[in-house]
Amino acid sequence: MTGADDIDGLAAEYVLGTLDAAERAAMSARRQREPQLDAAISFWERRLAPLNEAIPQVAAPLSTWQKVEARITRAPHSANGSAEIIDLKRRLSLWRTSAIAASAIAASFILAVGVRELTPQPKPKNLVAVLQKDAASPAFLVTVNIEDRLMTVQPVAAKREAGKSYELWIVHDSLGSPKSLGVIDDASAMQRPTLAAYKRDVIEGATLAVSLEPEGGSPTGAPTGPVVFAGKMIGTSN
Amino acid sequence: MELPSPMQTSQEISTLLASVARKDRAAFAAVYQATSAKLYGIVLRILKRRDIADEVLQEVYVKIWERAADFDPKMASPITWMATIARNRALDEVRRKKPDSIEDHPEILNVASGEDLAIDEILKGEDGKRLYDCLSHLEPDRAQMIVLAYCEGLSRDDLGARYGQPVNTIKTWLRRSLQQLRTCLSP
Repeated sequence: MTGADDIDGLAAEYVLGTLDAAERAAMSARRQREPQLDAAISFWERRLAPLNEAIPQVAAPLSTWQKVEARITRAPHSANGSAEIIDLKRRLSLWRTSAIAASAIAASFILAVGVRELTPQPKPKNLVAVLQKDAASPAFLVTVNIEDRLMTVQPVAAKREAGKSYELWIVHDSLGSPKSLGVIDDASAMQRPTLAAYKRDVIEGATLAVSLEPEGGSPTGAPTGPVVFAGKMIGTSN
Repeated sequence: MELPSPMQTSQEISTLLASVARKDRAAFAAVYQATSAKLYGIVLRILKRRDIADEVLQEVYVKIWERAADFDPKMASPITWMATIARNRALDEVRRKKPDSIEDHPEILNVASGEDLAIDEILKGEDGKRLYDCLSHLEPDRAQMIVLAYCEGLSRDDLGARYGQPVNTIKTWLRRSLQQLRTCLSP
């Protein structure tokens, strides 16, 4: 066996995954200083990558995002600044762009891996909104199953001020004023059916906003405090 | 809504990754939303255990956050780049520890059958068609071995147990099959 064959065989097995721990460690170190080996690994990574399409998607636990977020945050920001909304309009417009991108990506994944599952039993379509103060501070993740209108609210980094409550609102042109979806003070993820009364296209086109209210929620039925977090609904399939 | 072409998709996620490289957390959240089910599927396949897969997935996204600037859209599609990070991390983990023996966990062999893999899904892209074509030129056993190793993370030992062959034979089969694939896949 020539040297080149051996390099290619090793690179192929490295990408395939059949090398043992010591061999993997050696390859990972060698590729840093051996361009030929590195190129062979890249070849195999690219060529075998279509096999990933065959692997069914599995929804990651909701808590995983929180943990990722915590790990990349060295000094956690507190979310107590009601006056610190950084150009919400700008963020919303940026989010519209991201939302289009995210739904396009999600749709293509579903197209790529879900066709056979979709045919007999259509998958529930989900909507997601990241509610945030600014780019650096996502505070809540809201997931909506559009079929049964069940909404899951997952706090990411929101810290509540003593004596105050966070209240969630749905905002859509057709609704006139913001409509309350309830107080979201609990620290853990919660599921609730409060979207049951809303039409699908309203939910799909809605912005969700969180205002800071007196403890227990707005006394008037309309937001009385400042909007501290907001985010647009993003479709994850269509 | 018309479904976007894969080209647009790659472009969109590449744009998001460029923002992640500038430490844009909103873009990172969007990348996570769009890709975590795919990457979790990949690592769970290899690791078989949700607790370990959850931990590995966190590390994978921390790495994506830290290394987004290394992503080069000319070299790979964004999902291939991310899937490579995920696979490498999962494979390091599954090889690092002596894996549980099949006797302790009889379900491991069952979940590693590969029967629920949607192999025809790889036909979606040009690269996938070519790979499919080249795999179908191998003996069926050998093609299956490649798929099981890649998708299910089976080691040479695992493959030896499955095919009732000594590890050295498995290694020879793998190398020969990979060489055939290489010849078929080379431009």
